[in-house]
Parts: sequence; structure tokens; C-alpha cells
Amino acid sequence: MTERARLVAAALLLGNLAHAAEPPAADGDGFKRPLDSLQFNSGRDQREFERASLATLNVPDPWERWNRRVYYFNYRLDEWVLLPVVRGYRYVTPEFVRSGVRNFFGNLGEIPSLLNSLLQLRGRRALDTGTRLLLNTTLGVAGLWDPATRMGLPRQSEDFGQTLGAYGVPTGPYLMLPILGPSNLRDAGGQLTDFLTANRVDYLNVATASGAHPEISALKAVDRRDGIPFRYGQLNSPFEYNQIRYVYTRARQLQIEE
Amino acid sequence: MPRLPAFAALLGGLLFCSSAPAVDIDPASYGFPLHNPFEATIATTPPELRPALPPDSEIDQRDYSLSLRPERPFALPGNLRQVRDLRYRLARQAHAAPLIFVISGTGAHYASSLTEYLKRLFYGAGFHVVQLSSPTSYDFMTAASRAATPGLSREDADDLYRVMEAVRAQQADLPVTAYHLAGYSLGALHAAFVSQLDESRRGFGFKRVLLLNPPVNPYNSVRNLDRLVQTEVPGITGDLTFYELILGKLTRYFQRRGYIDLNEALLYDLQQSKERLTDEEMAMLIGSVFRFAAADIAYTSDLLNRRGLITPPNYPVEEDTPLAPFFIRALQCNFGCYLNEQLIPQWRLRHNGGSLSQLIGQISLQALQDYLAGSGKIAVMHNADDLILGPGDLAFLRRTFGERLTLYPFGGHCGNLNYRVNSQAMLEFLRD
Repeated sequence: MTERARLVAAALLLGNLAHAAEPPAADGDGFKRPLDSLQFNSGRDQREFERASLATLNVPDPWERWNRRVYYFNYRLDEWVLLPVVRGYRYVTPEFVRSGVRNFFGNLGEIPSLLNSLLQLRGRRALDTGTRLLLNTTLGVAGLWDPATRMGLPRQSEDFGQTLGAYGVPTGPYLMLPILGPSNLRDAGGQLTDFLTANRVDYLNVATASGAHPEISALKAVDRRDGIPFRYGQLNSPFEYNQIRYVYTRARQLQIEE
Repeated sequence: MPRLPAFAALLGGLLFCSSAPAVDIDPASYGFPLHNPFEATIATTPPELRPALPPDSEIDQRDYSLSLRPERPFALPGNLRQVRDLRYRLARQAHAAPLIFVISGTGAHYASSLTEYLKRLFYGAGFHVVQLSSPTSYDFMTAASRAATPGLSREDADDLYRVMEAVRAQQADLPVTAYHLAGYSLGALHAAFVSQLDESRRGFGFKRVLLLNPPVNPYNSVRNLDRLVQTEVPGITGDLTFYELILGKLTRYFQRRGYIDLNEALLYDLQQSKERLTDEEMAMLIGSVFRFAAADIAYTSDLLNRRGLITPPNYPVEEDTPLAPFFIRALQCNFGCYLNEQLIPQWRLRHNGGSLSQLIGQISLQALQDYLAGSGKIAVMHNADDLILGPGDLAFLRRTFGERLTLYPFGGHCGNLNYRVNSQAMLEFLRD
């Protein structure tokens, strides 16, 4: 009997415990009061939101006036020229052609990634990128397809800005580049270096061909814009400039640390 | 005479008994996997449980703009010039079809993700869809609102109504068979007021009005939202701010995985890992998003009306003006601050307003109780664990809407709108 009573007691207790683990019971009208389960800061008004948000404004930006003008220039260029061109491109080009174009230029982009992985002494990444380059150039027919990703080697892009960052070069002032968008002095220098290097390497003779056929560069630009989902005005805030500035700066920092 | 109250109570009881009870969805059979309201609010439905939606390539859509140029005593400052005209998006069917207006939630513009989702859903079901920014969105405030001080539901609805009429005029060639209306979050409250306005103006004659997760008493809602950033999050002292703490967790998570992969399943995967976010951290993230919306509203309203609370009245603001000092001031202003410093003073000034409780009585759903109770074309879908509700709000909805209220057990704030069961229910309501 006592055995049984103990079992019953245990069952009751367990039942109670199980009940205690449930979320708080609902009101008579079914409302679950979700905020009641939260721990609130005991000192009212902790101002952590303000503290954290103000810290996001700490990006060196001595050329802000120029940058803001370029931001609005890009905004309008995007709206009046680039996006209509991208829409036209999408309209006249079937999806498989566009993905071929994207893979092709992406494959060319593996060259700076490979070089920069080497410069950062990241052997594994350099090996992966080198393998991607080989596979996609051969099996992927000059990079039109991307079999490497399907084989479990996703693209890991590295640029010269990241290499400089990895060696401790500071970002320098924030810089809004015409057409190209948010950058900083270090990364803009990096972009230029990568561009010149790619021209020098002249992989698959694309750089030479582009000299004679500017339409190749135009296609590259359209493809690039097509591949970036960001739209000016998308953050829907009068402070979009400040927000882009923070997100860009922080994202680059993460890429370098990663 | 003393029998009168008893009689009234009896009559009231009979009336309530005669109306059917709300549809309460059973938690066991509902199947929505996220039972934590904060996770649900941030992550929404896992991709495999979402409805099938038409891809962009199958939607004939375009953005249009309206030059409404509301009359104001001050010229538009240079940094708001890009939102001088009000944008909206129209997705059109190739044939005659019913049209549905979708009103976005707090601070959201016409192309925000939830509005886009609803567009796909309704377009796939054969509607022309018009996506509208919220009257609390800075583009709407700038381009379409006369007072540019959102929060007075009737006035906001009036601004929205003009926009909708202008849309119809601009799309005069569109073959429309009937008009419908939907809104989520604050947009749902607006939809209720627009619908009521339409009863007197008779412009659209909405056939169905769908309110998704509306605030009942907006004052309760903004108080909840303001509180969300007051949660206790251990470890945020010194150099480590709250954002850095969250980014640190994300970075460690990605490092363990070996690569960065920002996709829709990110939050589920993160919540299964060692770096999972606590409820307090998620609450603070949600609260932060709303605080940025509050900052935008406070800044834009102050600037357009030259109130001098954030931007000094005669300060020249051009495209290239650095805005950090004003951003800093705006960030200090939560919804309560906006209410006290801008909305209430202007309500007193222009509408001869009185006490706070009077204001709440005018802007909440309660103000429309009789209309909502007697209007069979309006339905509400809500969640028992929605973060914007307060005690008693659901009782009001039950009383007012009866069986036209569907109450889901989970979903947080709008987290289950893209769950198949919910989308099915929405389409069914609009169809019959």
C-alpha cells in the first residue's frame, strides 16, 4: 500500500513538475502574457539600446559631406540607369544564360581570392579556391557552370582589402565610391589592386578581350548589379546612410576576422 | 428603477450568448513548431512549412509613384527629397480580378518582407495586389501625410484613403471586380479605420476586410514594445554592447560551422547550437527594431513640422548634411517619448484633445466597437502569445468579433502569417 502511495505521490509530483515547466497559464480570455516570463532590468531604464546604438555611429567619416552626395548620386543612378538596365537584361536573357554569365565572372574572381588567400597564408582556403578554379574552368567549361559548389567546395572570396586588414592595416576614412558603393580607403585601395592584378594575370584572356570589347565590361557590371539584392531606400529610414556605413564597416571586420 | 441595470445585464448576456464564440485553434492539432513567441516573431515559419508562392518571374508587377504633395507650411528638407513622391507597388493579373490593398505595419514600407509575402499569397490566389506603406513609415509621412504626425487612427486612415483613391485614379485602366482590404500589425488597425471611413464615403465598398495581428489598444502595444529593450541581458557592460554580444554569438557560431551562410534557417540552426539566444536577448532585438522605427518617426515628424525637438527649427538640412547629431537625439526617443512630446501636444492643438485616456479611446479598436461588432465582412486573426497585446485585449476581440476572430495558440507577433495553415485560412476568408 505504502509502495503504491509513494508511486502516486511521485506521479503527482512529476505531474506538477511537468506542469511547472509549461509556459505560464493563459488568462481567462486565452491571453498568454508573453512578456511576463522575461527578466527585466531591475534599475528601470537601463539605456543599453541607446548605448549600443550610439556606438554604431563611431565610424571615421571625415569626408561625410562628399560621401553623402555620392550616396544620393548612386541612389539616382541606380534608379534611373542601373536597375532599368538590369530589368531589361532579365527580360531578354533566360535564367540559365544569366547564371552562366554570373558563374563565368565569378570564376575569374577566384584569381584574386586565390592570391589573397596565399598572401594571408591561409593554405586550406587557397587549396580549396585553387581546386574550384581548376574544376570550374575545366569541367565547368571556362567557368560557365559551377560544379565545385555541388561537390562541396563553396566559394570563399578574399580580396586585397581583407588581406591588408588581416595584417592590421586600419580601415582609414569611410568612402562612398561612385557606382561601386560603400567602401573605405583601405578597401578601395584593395579593389584597385585586385583589378590591376586581374588585368595583369589576364586569365582566359578576358582582360585583353575587354580592352577591345567594352561590352564585356558592361556585361560584367550589369551582372554584378543583378547579383546584389540591395536597393537604395530599402532600409526605409532617413538615417539609411548611417546604417549602411555601420553595416558595411562591421561586415568587413567580420570577414577579416572569419 | 433598480431593476434596470439587471435587465441591461440580462439583455447584454443574451446578446453575447447569441453571438457565436471565437474560433480557438487547438494547440495540439495546429502544428506550428515554434512555441516560443520571441523565436516565432524573429524567425517566422520554417521554410518547409510555408505555402507555395508564385516566384517573381510569374508576377506582373511594377512600382509607381504618386505626387500628392500635401500642403504644409514648410518646404521639404533636402535629405527627404528622395521620398517626395509616394511609392507603391501594384501586381496586376492579366484579366479582370478583385483587387486587395495591403497596409504595412509599424514603420514598414510597401516593399517590406511581410507585405511582399502577402502580395505573393494574394496574387497567387488571383487578386490584383496594391502594396502600401504604413502611415508611420517615413516615406508615407513625407509624401502623403498632411499632419506628418502619425498615431491618430482616424487621421491616418484619412491619409490612407486619399492614397487609395489616388492609386485607383492612376490605375483607371485596371479591370477590378471588387475591392478587398488587408493589414497586418498596426496596418490592421488602420484597415479597420479605413473600412469604417469607407462606409460613409462609399468609395470602394470593401467586400472583405482582413485584420492580421492588430493592436487593440495601441497604447498597450507601444508600452510593451518600449519595455522590450529593458530586459536583463547579462554581460553587456564596458566595451561589449548588446549588438556586439549578439554579433559575437553569431561569429562563434559561424566559425564553428566553417563558413558564413545567411539564410532563412539561420535562427533555427542558431537556436539548436551552443550559442542560442535567450528570451531576453531576442526580446531586446525585437525591441531594438521597433526603437529604430520610433526614432525614424520622431525625427521625421519633428523635421517636417519644424518643432525643434530634434532638429533646430532653422537648421539648414540638405542632402549632404551630416545627420549623426540628430540621429543620436532621435534614438533617445521611444514611442512613449514621441507620444508625449509630439503626438499629444499636436492632438491637443489641432483636435482640441484632452487626457491620455481620451486619446486612447479615440485611437484604439474600442473606438469602433459597434461598427466592428455589426460588420460581418471584417475578420481578425490573432495569436494568444502576441507581444503587442495587453490583458483584456483578447476579451474585447472575442466580445466584438465572435466567430469572426480566429485565435491561434502560437506565433508571437506575426510569426505565423507565413504558416500554411494561416495562409489557407486567410485565402478562405477572402474567397467566400
